[in-house]
Amino acid sequence: AHRIMCIVYLIAFLFSLTSEQCSSKLMEDSSQSFMERMHTGKTSFIYFGNHVNPTIKLFMEQLEMSADALQDYGISVVKVNCSKDAIANYCTGEKLMTKAYLFRGSEVLRSFDIDTVFDVNAIVSHVLFSVLFNEVRYVHTPAELLRVESAAKQNSDIVVGHIPVLGLPEHRALMEAAFVYGTKYQFVQTSGTLVLKHMGVVDLSSSQARLWFLHCKGVSRRSDPCPSTPMRKPLNTINIHTFLQLMEAPLTESVLDPSEVDVVHLHLGVPVLYLFSQPQTQHLDRATAQTLGLQLRGEVGLVLIHRDSPNVKTSLKYNAAYRLPQEDVKYFTLNSAEGVVKLFKEELLQEQKLENEEEDEEHWSDLDILDDEVSESVYRDRDLMLDLESVIELTSDTFQITVTQDDITVVLFYFKWDAVCMAFIQSYIEVADALEGMNGVKLAAVNCGEWTDICSDQNVTSFPTVLIYRPMAAAQLYRGMLGTKSLHRFILLSLGSSPYILSSSAEVMSFMEGDLYSKHMYLTPVRVLGLFSSTHDMGVTSFEEAARLLRGESILGLFAHKEMIHVWTSEVEGLSVNLPALLVSRGPGVPYEVYSLPSSSPTDLVSLIKQVELDRFPELTVENLPWYLELGKPLLLLFIGKEDSTESTKALAEIKQPLSSGQLDSFLPCWIHLGRTPVGRSILEKYLGFVPPLPVLVMSQLKTGEEVFLFPPERPLMAKNILQWIHDVENGQEQPAGLIPDGKWGPPVPFFDFLAIMDQEAPTYAVQRAPKMKTGGREDHRENKHVTPNQKQTPHPSSNPQAPRQHSEL
Amino acid sequence: MSVIQPLFRLLCVLSLVLAGSGSGSGSGSGSGSGRNASVSHEYCVLGAGPAGLQMGYFLSRSQRDYIILERNAGPGSFFQIYPRHRKLISINKIYTGRRNKEFNLRHDWNSLLSDRPSLLFQRISRELYPNADDFPRYLSTFVKELGLKVKYGADIGTIKASDFNGNQGYILTDQNGVSYQCSVLLVSTGLWVPQQVDFLGSDLVEGYESIPTDPEEFKDQAVLILGKGNSAFETAQSILGRASRIHLYSPSPVRLAWQTHYVGDLRAINNELLDTYQLKSLDGLVEGRLEDIAIVRREKDGLRRRMAKKRSQKSTEGKEQLYLTLTELLDQNGNNISKITGQNLPGFHTDNFSLRQPYDRVIRCLGFRFNFSIFDGSARPPQSSGARGRLPGITAWYEGRGTPNMFVLGTAAHSRDYRMSAGGFVHGFRYTVRAVHKILEQRYHNIAWPATKLPISQLQSWILRRVNEASGPYQMFGVLGDIILLRGSYCEYLEEFPLQALPQLSALSGRPLTDQGLLVLVMQYGLNRTDTLGPGRAESEWTKAWRSNFLHPVLYYYNTLPTEKDMRQRPVGWPLPRPEALHHMVEDFLTEWDQPISHSQPLRRFLEHCLQTDLRAFYAESCFLLSLTSRTPPLFCRQGYLRKQGIVGNSHLWQHAREAGLMADHQRDITPGDDTSVSEYLKHAGAAVVSTMNFDL
Repeated sequence: AHRIMCIVYLIAFLFSLTSEQCSSKLMEDSSQSFMERMHTGKTSFIYFGNHVNPTIKLFMEQLEMSADALQDYGISVVKVNCSKDAIANYCTGEKLMTKAYLFRGSEVLRSFDIDTVFDVNAIVSHVLFSVLFNEVRYVHTPAELLRVESAAKQNSDIVVGHIPVLGLPEHRALMEAAFVYGTKYQFVQTSGTLVLKHMGVVDLSSSQARLWFLHCKGVSRRSDPCPSTPMRKPLNTINIHTFLQLMEAPLTESVLDPSEVDVVHLHLGVPVLYLFSQPQTQHLDRATAQTLGLQLRGEVGLVLIHRDSPNVKTSLKYNAAYRLPQEDVKYFTLNSAEGVVKLFKEELLQEQKLENEEEDEEHWSDLDILDDEVSESVYRDRDLMLDLESVIELTSDTFQITVTQDDITVVLFYFKWDAVCMAFIQSYIEVADALEGMNGVKLAAVNCGEWTDICSDQNVTSFPTVLIYRPMAAAQLYRGMLGTKSLHRFILLSLGSSPYILSSSAEVMSFMEGDLYSKHMYLTPVRVLGLFSSTHDMGVTSFEEAARLLRGESILGLFAHKEMIHVWTSEVEGLSVNLPALLVSRGPGVPYEVYSLPSSSPTDLVSLIKQVELDRFPELTVENLPWYLELGKPLLLLFIGKEDSTESTKALAEIKQPLSSGQLDSFLPCWIHLGRTPVGRSILEKYLGFVPPLPVLVMSQLKTGEEVFLFPPERPLMAKNILQWIHDVENGQEQPAGLIPDGKWGPPVPFFDFLAIMDQEAPTYAVQRAPKMKTGGREDHRENKHVTPNQKQTPHPSSNPQAPRQHSEL
Repeated sequence: MSVIQPLFRLLCVLSLVLAGSGSGSGSGSGSGSGRNASVSHEYCVLGAGPAGLQMGYFLSRSQRDYIILERNAGPGSFFQIYPRHRKLISINKIYTGRRNKEFNLRHDWNSLLSDRPSLLFQRISRELYPNADDFPRYLSTFVKELGLKVKYGADIGTIKASDFNGNQGYILTDQNGVSYQCSVLLVSTGLWVPQQVDFLGSDLVEGYESIPTDPEEFKDQAVLILGKGNSAFETAQSILGRASRIHLYSPSPVRLAWQTHYVGDLRAINNELLDTYQLKSLDGLVEGRLEDIAIVRREKDGLRRRMAKKRSQKSTEGKEQLYLTLTELLDQNGNNISKITGQNLPGFHTDNFSLRQPYDRVIRCLGFRFNFSIFDGSARPPQSSGARGRLPGITAWYEGRGTPNMFVLGTAAHSRDYRMSAGGFVHGFRYTVRAVHKILEQRYHNIAWPATKLPISQLQSWILRRVNEASGPYQMFGVLGDIILLRGSYCEYLEEFPLQALPQLSALSGRPLTDQGLLVLVMQYGLNRTDTLGPGRAESEWTKAWRSNFLHPVLYYYNTLPTEKDMRQRPVGWPLPRPEALHHMVEDFLTEWDQPISHSQPLRRFLEHCLQTDLRAFYAESCFLLSLTSRTPPLFCRQGYLRKQGIVGNSHLWQHAREAGLMADHQRDITPGDDTSVSEYLKHAGAAVVSTMNFDL
């Protein structure tokens, strides 16, 4: 109960800090009083000493100051002169002089080196931290913080303090706040950069202490994250106190005129925004006020004033007012909630905190800086002339002739002003350069800004688009990644037949082992073979059509001869086939996979072939991830380092083992090589908050949502341990190591609101006309009215001050 | 000058490209003789002027049963006579520096729309301001090459409404008694009845339609022209070197097209008289009401003469001069005015009255009106409330008010945007006709308004495409606009919808609405509050785009479709009601709205606000990261990368993005050699393929 009193003390204390102390609260104990103290059960901080040297003298001064401070928290500060009263255990031994002890009754809570508790701030912060040991949670990793959060959700709010160095005034301020507010909020202390990153701090180099308020109590669903409000002022007791007060009261309601309203904010030196509410729109007004209150929380106090009260005398022409600290109330008319947020965030508060520049203010919120990575990177090349030499630029006159000339004409449809097109065109030129001189292939481009007729005729509605033209055939849409490698591979594969018609078992063998068409081996080692009893088989046409659709994407063979198939399959060990069938080879020496081939449409066949081509334990890369994510399975993801260590090889093998026995069928086991896919490092950091020693196995993208589980690094990465771990995770016996946030990807910057600006700069310009005005809108009518003398009393159409559509005053 | 109440505004003919081969003179004999031939068509187009032929093209393309009825022997007969001085003032700009066919139509004011790239007016004339004879020639070519069904020599005298199986249709009867039963009637008769104002002595006035065009006939004559539009100035300009004095009189001051952006106002090509007026070379402009004046004749010798019906003696009375006076000064006795004395003239009362000197000729150049006379009461559209009632009143979708299934096209449909936009001129109404055709297709054949379905990630680039090339919204600014129906992850893009019909969007277009809202893209001129040629006339800061004076794109975002009431109460001077959010794209000197900082990014941010989603583009690598570390990656990744169409980029571009701090740098511990892997890979790949090429192919 005495903590409530402490709020009062605290304030008093803050102002007494600077005033000179006339009497010392530091007590000196004799053996007698020490024994009595041990029996009271009270908390005391005791230093035992026997002589004074300059270091001790300084410490004693600090100890004396801390006695005043700690008294407010009911903690006595005591010194014992061992040369007078030799108290057993404490006045002896080599630790005498260099240690101080914190007692609760006769129990030692903690002992401190006097180097640690070097001054009053260090003493107070360490003592309070020890006293509050069970209440202030100390966390190292984001995962630990998330656990605290999930326990607090719908229960209490959290105050997170990041204290890079213990014992400094910031630490003391946090501890003092924790002492006072500890029953109300869950306090969390952290010191590492991992949590800092997790909280979205960009500049990790600064050693500044920080504080956040996590609004966990009000989250509506337990799966929602707790919204957080950073404290933007330096960490000291007054600021923390103010900040917490503000968190408490985002919205106050009143029936007094703004100048009469007394709210805590005015005493805390925080601006106050007053909004007026009409009885008939009270609910709407309150909702608006609440939304605004949340948006401005921590920086502005919000008061909703009910107009129906006779005390409210503000003219009806205003619907809002604000008051800056030490200033008078200013009245104004606002048209939108966004306008107010802008007013405060961009104007009023800016003026106020000129001296506290916030470093984590996103740097791209400047309106004229491109915040799109593709646009910006293309824009930076604006002085470069594109060398389109190896690409033929087509016009309406040349298009038709050109696309029918070669075996394959690849045509890129682009806009010069579209950044994505211009980023891709660089890759396109790289492909063209690589293919230059090759017979039968031509790369061309159509600038749709100029040759809009071609682009419409070719039904191009998406930009960039790549179409493949062959003589006498409909154009084929390139569906792959818009990058050099993918397009290059596609074109090379397109040059071959699809399917390859195989006519002997020797050819089939050669095809499956990659000898035939070996030039494509480095493009893809996968071969898919359709086996049919004869060319008259119903399925052959369908397969051929599917092969045409997959041209450029897959290497397909067709073998339709029942007898020869029997002969051939009998030669291959362990191969038994029921025709028609699909045979997949993943490379020389790898056993073939056999799939039955149902009679289906070419498009169904295409998806079947694409599916069987997928690797069962793929290395995820930037280019192939979408194919695997499509499967919708949770990922069992192994990260391996860029050096191909034996550990990595072993880990891969250990996962392969249960894979072949089908125990991992509900997962997609996969791996990322951080050397080939460096972005994998960022993924790990996002998952865990740090990059542990590799290899690392994690589980993510679970159906249930956001959790990421980490295979305990201390356990050996072995098949049976992995299966056990999976089992534990499925049974909820493992704690998540991180969370995948469900970010909404809303607009990255605030909206530039032309309507709000119009309303401000030309108040009647953008306002709907009042009802019953003459309709029409033809100027001749209106102008006639102005000049017709006997109609001069006609109200001017723009005299209506408010948009009628908007409710009440907001 | 007396105080004049200018009830009427534009008085002179829109001699720019007026549509019309007027069909149906008042003859209307209908002589009912034995031949009661009757033909029936689904669509009857009345008049083979530019609007009629334009509609004919669309009907023919959609293979509808239609006929174009024309009383003259060829198309565009209006242009055989008008403009009288034979110079079209519609721009025929052949060289634009661009090869974009759609863009080039922005500067081609004479061509009709068709799918034949060669069927443009520039094939007939290379002149910037072509000869009027070239226009009927062009129209003939248009009819011939597209094989349009035109029946010439069919002079429709009466139009009656009739019930066809419960739907209102129309029966047209020509001079031979042939009747045409039409389920849908498309009236494109243009404006060709000269507008007259009734005042005393108006019979002494010559009309623009019949004045001589040889300047020599005006030698040393003082001429008063009634009207201050293009035909008045065109007439004045032709006689400037011969007439002694030219005065232009009409209620309102001259309006300059280059100030008002309305091409029906005085075009600079006709305005030489402004020069001679302002340099005090005996010409001048005067404002006053036409109803208050009288033109009287007074002989030089002062003999008393009766004024009425003296025209027959005119040839013998060459020395008689005409005075402008005011009705109130005349001693009136019915229509007969006796005794014109000095006291009946204003100069007697006000010694420095501007128009105190007599004139040799008075010419009326007051424009034309719609011919209402051929419509039976059952089929007659009302007179428009604007434009002095000279035009038929029509709905926002160009259907006659109270005449269902009858649409008005071309210049006659200008009441929708009179003095606002280009709907009265070929370069404007060719698009309106196309829009009406789409409405017909929906209403009568259940074919919805064509729409392009786009993933939201492509929306910005479509808007930029339209803004940078579309000619319809550019010419029909403030009247036709593109509509984007938002449908969640995709949208439907409808081109050139008549904005005033927005509340009826769903019924007219056949496109259902959802609760996802819609965007409207409109081209607009701005506030126009500054001196047209003065400093500060152009805005270049995109944050001040709403102050743009010149034509610029504006986007409106509505949660729900505006109602008729919203539309009626829209802010003064706006084409549409106040939206939920608004975006002006800053005017551009070159009309190229394609710059990343001033145009694209602000547009993207506006769209982001409307759609409440991040629309930034990301390289495949970023999408890879976001797909694995976020439950819903950004839209661009979902609609591109995750559909296997990611934009990969190259190390050069990634470097830029990383330096800008926009892309995470994971490469920090990667040896620089890795960056070149792609190019090395390609070198290797190319070589391998080339060497084995002949083996396989």
